[in-house]
Amino acid sequence: MNHILETKSLFHDFSGWEVLFDVNLEVREGERHAIIGPNGAGKTTLFNVITGMYKPSQGAVYFKGKDVTGLGPYALSRLGMGRSFQITSTFERQTVFQNIRMGVLSRKGIRFNMFRKVDGLEDVTRETEEILKRINLDKERDYPASILSYGKHRSLEVSMAMATDPDLVMLDEPTAGMSKDETKYAVELIRRLTEGKTMVIIEHDMDVVFSIADRITVLHLGTILASGPPEEIREDQRVKDAYLGEMEE
Amino acid sequence: MTKRMAKWVSWGFLCLVLLVFPRVFGIYYSNVFVAFAIFAVYSLTLNMLLGYTGLLSFGHAMFFGTGAYTTAIALDRISGMPLLPVVLAGFVASVVLALILCPIVVRVGGTAFAMLHLAFGQLMYVLALKLRFLTGGEDGVGGFPIPAFSIPGIISVDMTNPLNFFYFAIAVLGLSTWILWFFTKTPIGSIMIGIRDNPQRVEYMGFRVTHTKAIIYCLAAGFAGITGSIYALFQNLISAEDGYNIMVSFGPIMATIVGGVGSFSGPIFGSAIFSIIEELTSRYTERVELVMGLILIGVILYAPMGFMGVMGLLKQRWLAARKVKLEGAK
Amino acid sequence: MDSTTAMYVAQGIHGLAYGMILFLVASGLTMIFGMMGILNLAHAAFFMLSAYFSYQALAMTGNYWIALLAAPLATAVVGVLVERFLLRKVHAFGHVGELLLTVGVSLVILDAVKAFWGTESLYVDLPESLKGLIHVGGLEYPVYRLFVIGLALVVLFIMAFLLYRTRLGMVVRAAVSDADMVNALGINVPLVFMLVFGIGTWMAGVAGVAIAPILTVFPGLADQMGMDAFLVVVTGGFGSLSGAFIISLVFGELSSYGVQFISALAPVLMFVLMAIILVIKPTGLFGERE
Repeated sequence: MNHILETKSLFHDFSGWEVLFDVNLEVREGERHAIIGPNGAGKTTLFNVITGMYKPSQGAVYFKGKDVTGLGPYALSRLGMGRSFQITSTFERQTVFQNIRMGVLSRKGIRFNMFRKVDGLEDVTRETEEILKRINLDKERDYPASILSYGKHRSLEVSMAMATDPDLVMLDEPTAGMSKDETKYAVELIRRLTEGKTMVIIEHDMDVVFSIADRITVLHLGTILASGPPEEIREDQRVKDAYLGEMEE
Repeated sequence: MTKRMAKWVSWGFLCLVLLVFPRVFGIYYSNVFVAFAIFAVYSLTLNMLLGYTGLLSFGHAMFFGTGAYTTAIALDRISGMPLLPVVLAGFVASVVLALILCPIVVRVGGTAFAMLHLAFGQLMYVLALKLRFLTGGEDGVGGFPIPAFSIPGIISVDMTNPLNFFYFAIAVLGLSTWILWFFTKTPIGSIMIGIRDNPQRVEYMGFRVTHTKAIIYCLAAGFAGITGSIYALFQNLISAEDGYNIMVSFGPIMATIVGGVGSFSGPIFGSAIFSIIEELTSRYTERVELVMGLILIGVILYAPMGFMGVMGLLKQRWLAARKVKLEGAK
Repeated sequence: MDSTTAMYVAQGIHGLAYGMILFLVASGLTMIFGMMGILNLAHAAFFMLSAYFSYQALAMTGNYWIALLAAPLATAVVGVLVERFLLRKVHAFGHVGELLLTVGVSLVILDAVKAFWGTESLYVDLPESLKGLIHVGGLEYPVYRLFVIGLALVVLFIMAFLLYRTRLGMVVRAAVSDADMVNALGINVPLVFMLVFGIGTWMAGVAGVAIAPILTVFPGLADQMGMDAFLVVVTGGFGSLSGAFIISLVFGELSSYGVQFISALAPVLMFVLMAIILVIKPTGLFGERE
């Protein structure tokens, strides 16, 4: 089985405070991989190290078989890695259309063009509008992102990560703070958008995790406790002790 | 289509007004207008950094001054320099300066960016005073020949005639304005706005923030150089006080804030307001800076969105009032 | 001590005196920045204002010591008023608004001073006890400069006491290294801000009074000192007091010996030093934040 993403004994610390400890994550091509773990387990830090926000203090990250340790977010994005944020991070003052268009410009490699009006790039506009339809935000096309409802704003957040057309998308708690209905809708949207792609998702909601994931990795105190298919994780005694049991209390 | 036609008509009208301006208002006010136009376009270049990329520079004068000194020194030292190349030289010199500073300044943002520029700008000011053999020290460079605008064999227009210079300056500054405006509408322009609002996300979407910033920085510097170059030709003199003084850096910031940071035309309106206030207050008092300072404080306290923001608010209220009226009539 | 050595020593003390005054201005600047995140561009204007206040107080009372005490206090009162009624109101609009507001305040002070006192140089006369020269081992040195160094040391001592021995100082130190901390500690932030701003301007005021008899009082006073103080803060690192101290003394000596040996290029030396340090470390010598 091909590994699209692999970390090899990854360590990270914040001024001496170990947050990641010997993490060996393996994500297979095409799978939906969930990372779970109690608060403070290092999930977001792991994301930040993989996506190039931080350099790991030790270890290496392999993406599509290439050593990408220490590459910046822009470089990883160009190699085909997308990422959404736990705290919504859109361009709030710009319209929904402009938010998504940013991703379309990126996927087309239009980065420094200063000789054409961006509104005049018909294929960019068309592709952006197609995406808006697919994510059901075409009615909100010209609204500034900041006035969207919470659920829709979160959808935009995830869709922006997808708009660059990544092969691997890393979603950091896409359903954080959503109501039951919003969550249901978001899960459906994520499923639809990530069709045929590899996805790594951090998620707290166990219903979401068990309904969406092919494989689950449990992170605990900065290190991997277990990794495997959902049924296996559900039965794993160590996981139950460390995490699931705690949730049921 | 009618909207488009209205646009063309208003552009045509503006050109017509500019064409007849010197004939109607005379040379004195034409010169006032040129001074305003230089300041306005210079403020626009600052707003490319401040309003569009979120970078506050306290040393923008170094590009204005470098453009001005380059043009002045070129004309002073090299005989027979033609007009357009010396303006272009002002552009290029400022871009070169920007390229030298780029590796340092694009890595930082916020206050550090502002302060580094304050320091570098002041360094240029001191250099302009101290490198006498090149800059003439406190006297500056002045009295250099102003070349004619000429296309060999076709046309040659005397630029020492204030009327001709008016048209030349307005044409160059108008073209600069259009290029800057066009830039904001291009793909890199939209990335630039993204950097202002959320640089991290821009980076995560596959754009290299530092490189994009560097391009915008050089562009803003280059066009600031052009305005400086026109200023040197306009005054036939450039000194450290007019080129590199810290007030030359603060002026466009104030004009931009007063006019409104959020829009392209804000700095133009701000410059107009400042030019008018300066023209009026200087007739009655020497305390122009005091008045400017009070206006700046007042704007920041009571209308932080500036002139354009206030206009937008008034328009909204007017629309709302009309809506109420219309609904009442139903 | 032969005359050449004496000259070097004298230059050294000159540099020390200037460095100390510079530190009085720069430390207030860096403290306000570290605490409030505001780069107070009106800082040098306060410095100058205090010099004018000292001239006025001396003209009114004829007593130098009263001027020395009253002028910095009056300046601090102006500073507190600016913080309370202007800066606090724009705090919500972010740092650019605050920064520009201080530009506006600076313009108003600089121009108002011209309106009140004119543009001529004004002389501040010293009392007899501070005039004259002191003789130490063949070295003749002006008493007043030594007094300035002493005065700066006293202020430094007061500052050190406030910072390391009081609750306010604890809060300030915590805030300079981590601004969120103050909120977490549940402290009356607006009050602390006002006090810090007042103390910062008071220190600039002391420096203004100290420099008045040396340089005379004139509107351009703010330019030179303001720029040097900003360079100190940038080079030493934003919000770093120890950085400000070291760089102040280095700059003081640089300008003192620089004028001696390469007078034409002396003003450039500080910029060169700054550029070198910033290229190596963009946050300044001891700075950790931007």
